[in-house]
Amino acid sequence: MEYIIKGGIVFDPLNHIDGEQKDILIKDGFITDKVSPKAKILDVTGKLVMPGGVDLHSHIAGPKLATGRLYRPEDTRRGIKTFPKGSVQGFETGFSIPSCPTTGYRYSKMGYTTVTEAAVPPLEAKHAHEEIDSIPNLDIPTLTLFGNNWFMLKYVKENNLEDLTLFISKWLKLAKGYGIKIVNPCGSEAWGWGKNVNGLDDPEPHWHVTGREVITALTKVNEKLGLPHSVHVHTNDLGHPGNYETTLETFDCVKHIKKNKNVNRNQVIHCTHVQFHAYKGTSWRDVSSGATELIDYINKSKHMTCDIGQITFDETTTMTADAPMEYDLFRLTGLKWANKDIEVETASGLIPSIYSMKAPVSAFQWAVGLEFFLGIKDLWKIGLTTDSPNGGPFIRYPRLLTWLMSNQKLNDMLDNQVHNWATNRTDITSYDREYSWNDVAIVTRANTAKILGLTDRGHLGIGAKADVSIYDIDVNDFDTTLMSNAEIIEKKLLNALYTIKDGEIVVKDGQITNLVKSKHLWCNVVGLEEEEEQLIRKIKPTFNKYYTIKYENYGVTNHYIKPDTRFDINCNKQG
Amino acid sequence: MKIINLKLKESVKVALEFDNVLPELLYDKNIQQINDIIIYQGNKERFLSELFEIKISGDAENPDDCKIVLDGDLHRIKYIGNNMAHGTIIANGDVDLHVAAMMSGGHIIVNGDAESYAGREMTGGLLEIKGNVKEYCGSSYIGEWRGMNGGTIIIGGSCGKQLADCMLSGNIYIKGDCDILAGIHMSGGYIEIEGNVTSWPGGQMKKGVIVIKGNVGEVLQGFDYQESICHPLINGKYHIGQYDLYIGDSTTRGKGQLWIKR
Repeated sequence: MEYIIKGGIVFDPLNHIDGEQKDILIKDGFITDKVSPKAKILDVTGKLVMPGGVDLHSHIAGPKLATGRLYRPEDTRRGIKTFPKGSVQGFETGFSIPSCPTTGYRYSKMGYTTVTEAAVPPLEAKHAHEEIDSIPNLDIPTLTLFGNNWFMLKYVKENNLEDLTLFISKWLKLAKGYGIKIVNPCGSEAWGWGKNVNGLDDPEPHWHVTGREVITALTKVNEKLGLPHSVHVHTNDLGHPGNYETTLETFDCVKHIKKNKNVNRNQVIHCTHVQFHAYKGTSWRDVSSGATELIDYINKSKHMTCDIGQITFDETTTMTADAPMEYDLFRLTGLKWANKDIEVETASGLIPSIYSMKAPVSAFQWAVGLEFFLGIKDLWKIGLTTDSPNGGPFIRYPRLLTWLMSNQKLNDMLDNQVHNWATNRTDITSYDREYSWNDVAIVTRANTAKILGLTDRGHLGIGAKADVSIYDIDVNDFDTTLMSNAEIIEKKLLNALYTIKDGEIVVKDGQITNLVKSKHLWCNVVGLEEEEEQLIRKIKPTFNKYYTIKYENYGVTNHYIKPDTRFDINCNKQG
Repeated sequence: MKIINLKLKESVKVALEFDNVLPELLYDKNIQQINDIIIYQGNKERFLSELFEIKISGDAENPDDCKIVLDGDLHRIKYIGNNMAHGTIIANGDVDLHVAAMMSGGHIIVNGDAESYAGREMTGGLLEIKGNVKEYCGSSYIGEWRGMNGGTIIIGGSCGKQLADCMLSGNIYIKGDCDILAGIHMSGGYIEIEGNVTSWPGGQMKKGVIVIKGNVGEVLQGFDYQESICHPLINGKYHIGQYDLYIGDSTTRGKGQLWIKR
């Protein structure tokens, strides 16, 4: 199918196109410079045109979602929406933890075409890939959890980076993972004995390995392999007042590690949902924002990127492999709590969370998140996330953008709606930045794709995947800074005029018009196969001793990941 | 006052859903508009007039002036008074699930028995059931941790399991007996039971008051006996007789009050 997207106002930051009226040509699923006369014309004169959205950190598939849906039926009921017979899409359920098809529908309607599932333990990877199979219209890379894995801890303890490299390379193949995820390194493993670690240098009680050692070792391995994405780190001490120092140390601990020359990203470490890691003080009574110090570090450094994990004032569901933190939340709120041990790999926990504008802590966390968005000077260092559903569900991204695009709107919130801890405990009032459409395109598409190392998307250059989102907003006649326009922006960004995925229209006028199977994106390291097999022979007895399943049944086989996009990584290439 | 009489023409096997037959939705409608109201029977849409004989008398200026009277075999009608905020509904017969669910105002009288989830998550108004009710009366719905949060429920007969699960506030009066786990997960509100309770009232309760005038099969170990008081003043009213006070449930560090008459 060929299309000419005619007359739109295009924002394509990676190609330095900032609001130019230009035509986009699509042929056979890619952006091209020439189409045949048969090409269908989509007249979108004056409308907002951007590359398809890329979410670099969300929780959309896997057993924790299934647990959430099971133990929060009230959330499932909250999002029920039926559609007349004959609709392309089925009914929707769920608010913070939507059903798999609903996840695809809602992201598609928002103009998103690639979404990263940010935490998959290898043992549960089959389940995650099965759920991805039920989500339509997205490309989905999964990040594989390594930060508390026993084999990894063993190699780090022995300082055996050779075997660790082989282990990571093999396990990415087994889990069909795209990158390395580290969650509360050593802390989640300590949780197996009801403990946690405190800070970057507190050793795990049994392996006697520290978070610092884990992060540096995995970062070295990541760069040695030349994976497209950097290590993706959820630092220690999430949600604890005083944790900003741990976060600063984590930022700093890998700055000496050289980036692989063959990758397209800038960073060697990506720190996720930094909002939850930016608190000063000794308790929630004297808590204050540590964002200023972290922003200052980020502004001065070149080796790292981050996403925010913005709070959106909703009743949501928190879910993470940082199980001790979930237990802390349970002690704090008393709400129903689910906890799960993933054998020798990690732990996980879930608990509902109610972020209210009138609650001091929620208002404070909300303002800390916005401090990052407004304080980091170079937007090529951040990505827009709510750590969905932890800070709020992804359908709130448009609302979050209205807070960033209009000072009037933000000040109205600060003056009239949210608890005064937002202003008293943070520096949010010192910022007056307002996001332009180009800025929005950077933090939701261009840079998120770049951070992930996905060069084929996040832009509309010749040869890029034809993932395009078009919104019913007349860019040149619409003032985004007016508070009165905030609701309109939210509504329009929630319901794209067109979403085009791989050159096919999947959304038109905010309605799903086409369902395509989501692709599983994963990295296949080539050149180490023989050594990997030797390693497996060595570790198989230990594996079969400690896992409840046999090694032969462990890996995700190819039939789970159809269709897929495989990124072959040649680790022998000089990096 | 506008009185709308709805008489079910004949018994139905597949339940009817009555969530859009409310005083606030009907008070300003004429007979033709009421005839054309669509209700669900299973997955089928039905006009109200297909199933009911409809009579109207009087006029109402506001929904509080409107009364709906239901007659016939009502035992397969669900969601009577669901989300109701104004006016009165009188059901002359047994009713199905979810009567007065999420009700926030007005008055519902059931001259018969009610199935499970009567008055679930209600936040205001008065629900009177002259007969018995089944499980989860005044409770939260499955998964939800916020149950009844205001209003009053009066049950003339006995009550099934898990009365007032996750109750936050409001008043419940049971004239008859009550099955196990009355007031489970309760964190506020007042329950008064005149009959016997099978066992385990107030399991995992955090706050609130339960008064039991009959016998109790077993009190949970998380409740600590405090004292015995003659004619105690509870919830603004003197209760005649000797009552034992227990505080619990200590398994959830609760400070709920459980009063049991000797």
